[in-house]
Amino acid sequence: MEGLNRLIRRLGMLLRREQFDRDLHDEMRLHLDLRQQEQIERGLSPEDARFAAQRRFGNPALLREISGDAWGWRGLEHLGQDLRYGARELLRTPGFTAVAVLALALGIGANTAIYSVVNAVLLRPLGYKDANRLVTILNDGTDPVAPANYIDWRDQSRSFEVMGAAEYWSPNLTDSDPSQSNPPEHLYGLQVTQNLLPMLGIDPALGRIFIPGEDRKGSEHEVVLSDRLWARRSNRDPNILGKMITLNGHGYTVIGIMPPEFKFPPFWATRAELWVPLALGDSLHDRDVNTLRVFARVKRDVTLGQARADIATITGRLEREYPGTNRDVVVTPLKENVVGKIETPLLMMLGAVGFILLIACANVAHMLLARISDRQKEIAVRTVLGAGRTRVISQFLTESLLLAALGALAGLLLALWGTKVLVKLSPAYIPRVETVAIDAHVLLFLLGVTLLTAIVFGLAPAMHATAGDLNGALKEGGRGESDSIRRNRLRSFLVASEFALAFMLLIGAGLMIRSFFALQSIDPGFNPHNVLSMIVSVSGTNEAEPGRRAMFYPELMQKVRALPGVRSAGGINHLPLAGDTWGLSFTIEGRPKPRPGESPEAVYRIIMPGYFETMRLPLLRGRTITSNDDARSPGVVIINERAAHEYWPGQDPIGERITFDDDKRNPPTWLTVIGVVKNAKQEDWVSKPYPEVYLAALQNPDFMGYGGSPIAPHMAYLTLVVRADGKATGIASAVKRAVWSFDRNLPISEVLTMDQVVADATAQPRFEMLLFALFGAVALVLAAVGIYGVMNYSVSRRTREIGIRISLGASRAAVLGMVARQGMTQALAGTAVGLASAVLLSQLMRKLLYGVRPTDPITFGGVAIVLGLTALVATSVPARKATRIEPMTALRNE
Amino acid sequence: MSQRDEIPPGTLYMLILKTLARQGEMHGYEIANSIQQISEDVLQVEEGSLYPALQRMLVKGWVKAEWGTTAGNRRARYYHLTPLGRRQLALEVSKYERVAAAIARVLQPA
Repeated sequence: MEGLNRLIRRLGMLLRREQFDRDLHDEMRLHLDLRQQEQIERGLSPEDARFAAQRRFGNPALLREISGDAWGWRGLEHLGQDLRYGARELLRTPGFTAVAVLALALGIGANTAIYSVVNAVLLRPLGYKDANRLVTILNDGTDPVAPANYIDWRDQSRSFEVMGAAEYWSPNLTDSDPSQSNPPEHLYGLQVTQNLLPMLGIDPALGRIFIPGEDRKGSEHEVVLSDRLWARRSNRDPNILGKMITLNGHGYTVIGIMPPEFKFPPFWATRAELWVPLALGDSLHDRDVNTLRVFARVKRDVTLGQARADIATITGRLEREYPGTNRDVVVTPLKENVVGKIETPLLMMLGAVGFILLIACANVAHMLLARISDRQKEIAVRTVLGAGRTRVISQFLTESLLLAALGALAGLLLALWGTKVLVKLSPAYIPRVETVAIDAHVLLFLLGVTLLTAIVFGLAPAMHATAGDLNGALKEGGRGESDSIRRNRLRSFLVASEFALAFMLLIGAGLMIRSFFALQSIDPGFNPHNVLSMIVSVSGTNEAEPGRRAMFYPELMQKVRALPGVRSAGGINHLPLAGDTWGLSFTIEGRPKPRPGESPEAVYRIIMPGYFETMRLPLLRGRTITSNDDARSPGVVIINERAAHEYWPGQDPIGERITFDDDKRNPPTWLTVIGVVKNAKQEDWVSKPYPEVYLAALQNPDFMGYGGSPIAPHMAYLTLVVRADGKATGIASAVKRAVWSFDRNLPISEVLTMDQVVADATAQPRFEMLLFALFGAVALVLAAVGIYGVMNYSVSRRTREIGIRISLGASRAAVLGMVARQGMTQALAGTAVGLASAVLLSQLMRKLLYGVRPTDPITFGGVAIVLGLTALVATSVPARKATRIEPMTALRNE
Repeated sequence: MSQRDEIPPGTLYMLILKTLARQGEMHGYEIANSIQQISEDVLQVEEGSLYPALQRMLVKGWVKAEWGTTAGNRRARYYHLTPLGRRQLALEVSKYERVAAAIARVLQPA
């Protein structure tokens, strides 16, 4: 009860604060007056009487403050006072405030933007139940595995609650909706085992997902749709459950719709928007053709290490039983597969923006330091009037906090804009980038960074401001010599650190730029300019019939070649760099049977005549595939250079025969090597090309849909490549019209120029290079502003000294040299430290670099020169100002 | 000027409470003078420090203050004891006596 009363009294005081101060003031005034009166009555002069009264009373200002403290609102009140005072100070010097806020906004904004990406991409858990227990079990960590292996792992392992598998499936959807507004579409989806969707622990928004037993024979014609597909194709028809859709010419019943945020798989076939049951059927016993991606949920009480050991035991046993089939099976946390490629670059970027913030802090710190020097007298007066050291420091920190808060506010705007740009610029390879947002986590981060920033740039100047010699400050008007030296040292340290940090950032930028140019100069093997590509698929249409398909594609080629502006045309199953890369093992005629797992292997591509000519992929030896190489003529194959070196070292491969059939097929279909072409890029831009073989589509029964060999069992589409006379985009609509002149229902997808394909292949390094270059540029500007500010300030403080030097006969050149030397010493010291640190830190970038060493001397030399020149230019302006000082004016003004 | 001693720390509250208990309502200057006069000018109150002490006592609810007018017709804040203040005075006095007695025993010639 008494506690409550006390609180009410205290609150009352808080509300009547000004009245309180006035009362206290009046009360003390009365006391002093009465005491003075008493002293006068004792015979003192009025003046002496007042002094005596004051001596006996003490410092009224201090006492008033202590009295106020009794009410326990001191912190709050000081904060209020400090904020008001700080705001006044900042408004008094709008130039300083603007520059400081801008520097901080750059630093805080960049940090917030990059952190929001890191948060969305790396930190936020994947959108599945207990996602940290989900793993993939794949060859080499990312590659597909054979069905029989999956079955054995699933049945023999004991560490997993569930293990499921998925296969990429991209069918044609050929129904038109009632309004006829949706054309046939080539879709991306997955065939999944029945347990895979339930494993993820996400309920459908509508209907149900697969239940055990559904991937057994008989019920394979059911489909679960993504929210996006549901919205796009049926306008969110609430009665869609139970309706049929036609995929590749077969009817599928819609049984469920997933919620909008659901995405699976989170890596590899990320465009999937429908899921159908996977029927393993005949491939159940296949241990050679790798088609499945395996996902599993680790049991609750089993560690990742135990799960790995479990799988290692099983694969070891299987490898002994079936050599070459279970060699490099790796259990990887699902999240690692999702973020693996982007983790290092993103963390490096976070580090880089951290450096930028530090530079900004150093900048603001020495600006504050300069201001504090000017306010030395004010500080001294406040100290004399009873302000304690902590009180003065907290005043300065509040001012810093105010500055940081303004910077954070501007930085937040910058980050909001920056993340939008970042997401737009970011290549498709960044997973989950569409979920980047300024959420509560990011705001918390922003708050933390802001507080830390204020302390980092505010504390040192504040400590320095209050550590000085009081009397000196009062007497000299803030020019205590010892102070100046100490403060100059701090200022030099700040400038040097800025240059050290800028040096490191510029090394990062320089290395990324050099690496990018090295990437750009890689020869893809073909000439991508003026080439247009598009996928034309036939399944589910009239052209899909085996007999018809064999005619359709050659006829299409003929028609396209006849178009105006078209130089040549060809076709391929999977476009290099953009499409899949499928491998197969083969047998070379006349060689001893290789041990299991050691057969020759090659990437295989199936082409239409005209492909090499259109891509300008040079034929090095032999002849190319022509339209005469058809189903009636002997089988032919063209190999790449790498295959020639690998499998016919020092021999002529032309005329040699190979087969993809296994021993069971007798006699096998032999293919004669008729030519060798240059290596072309395959799956990605930097990898060395694997051995590769090109088969003739026209003589391949499987491609044409009526064969039975392991090659390309589902192939129902072809990527058309067309070389234009001029720009590739100019012929796109004409080519599409040519396709649709056969059948309006033919889905066309992935219309891309080869230049785009090549650009996409280097999109990640380009994106990283752009960001690092931007960071480097920002760092350079901030460092330049920093050294300019410090030198400018130093010259203005030394006006009198320089004036004396000049009047004593120092030449202008000597003055110029003196000032420039001072600035350059700081810059060079920083650069030296930066160089040493960069040698160590750039090692972290090794993974991001191509064709350039982390200690690349050209980069290091170049950056040193750029920074040196920047320092020289930034220093020369104040230095020249110093030479123009008029000695007489300078001395008079003091 | 006669020899003056600082008030022992911690006893300022007790002195103010006692003074107010004896005299009823007083303003700050009167309290200071009263303590000095009664102690025959031996105890010197650091005059200004009276005011923070009074504020602390206001917060604690030991005293209450009202504005009034002095004989010289000036506005002054008059303090008086609350029941809580009276209880506190008794507490402080008994504590002081206990301590003083203990010190006296220590100082007694053996």
